[in-house]
Amino acid sequence: MNRADKFLLAGILLVSLLSLMGMYGLFSSAVNTTQAIVVVRGAIIRRITLPVAGKSTFVVQGRVGAATVEIEGDRVRMREAHCSGQVCVNQGWVSHPGQTIVCIPGEILVRIEGAAAVDAITR
Amino acid sequence: MKRFGTHRVVFLALLIAMGTALHVVEALLPIPLPIPGVKLGLANIVTLLAIYLYGFRDGLTVALMRVLLGSLIGGVFLAPGFLLGICGAFFSTLVMAALLRYTRCFTVIGISMAGAVGHNLGQLLAASLLLQSSAIIFYLPVLILAGIPSGIFTGYLLKTLIEHNHKTGILNYYNS
Repeated sequence: MNRADKFLLAGILLVSLLSLMGMYGLFSSAVNTTQAIVVVRGAIIRRITLPVAGKSTFVVQGRVGAATVEIEGDRVRMREAHCSGQVCVNQGWVSHPGQTIVCIPGEILVRIEGAAAVDAITR
Repeated sequence: MKRFGTHRVVFLALLIAMGTALHVVEALLPIPLPIPGVKLGLANIVTLLAIYLYGFRDGLTVALMRVLLGSLIGGVFLAPGFLLGICGAFFSTLVMAALLRYTRCFTVIGISMAGAVGHNLGQLLAASLLLQSSAIIFYLPVLILAGIPSGIFTGYLLKTLIEHNHKTGILNYYNS
């Protein structure tokens, strides 16, 4: 290895470390914008940036009647719904990006969106 | 140097065969690190030797033929891994040929290192196009770092070969 090689090595290391730092900057800023999104019959009706202070509820009109969504801190649940299965209510709280509450009869969807994390890599 | 000199054609075929063998053997070796995409890159020696002897075009021929034949033997022809391999081989050949032609200051170790990093960047580019997602770019620092030791290792092997050639002139025979 001569001097030019060592400079190249140092340069590559520097680029790698800088990109690592850049990634972390990107990653942490993306994490801060977690949102709860409420979709009824295909249309987004509410977008709430999490976490919220305290506890709040609101009512959405689904296809088979009203449903109550409750938000507390950084988590969301379906508190009450007038559907037959009650699957959405029984699912309980969701808080992680990618988690979804779905009410099929009411056509209501509550989704947590946030940083696009890599799920898996195959080779 | 004739475009289709017999020595050259024969030696290119030998290089492709050696590269394919290294490629296949390397795929069989378990990697002790839990990081996908990291490997020794032994076949890179053959690509760099081809560029060193004959230039960019033949280096690219050797690299692409090696990936093609290696994937046919390994049974991953046209699988996602094959596309990553093609893209990686193309980028590393491009980087190494450019450095060999336009710079005088690097030794083969430096050039091999740049080639290994170029290979990983090409793979990452192909992977992000394939997955239609830029999230995989988070993997960039790891892959750049991983290219350094494997590049130094293969570069050192090639340096030994070229020093041997200075003593015996064995490669000059194939370069005629």
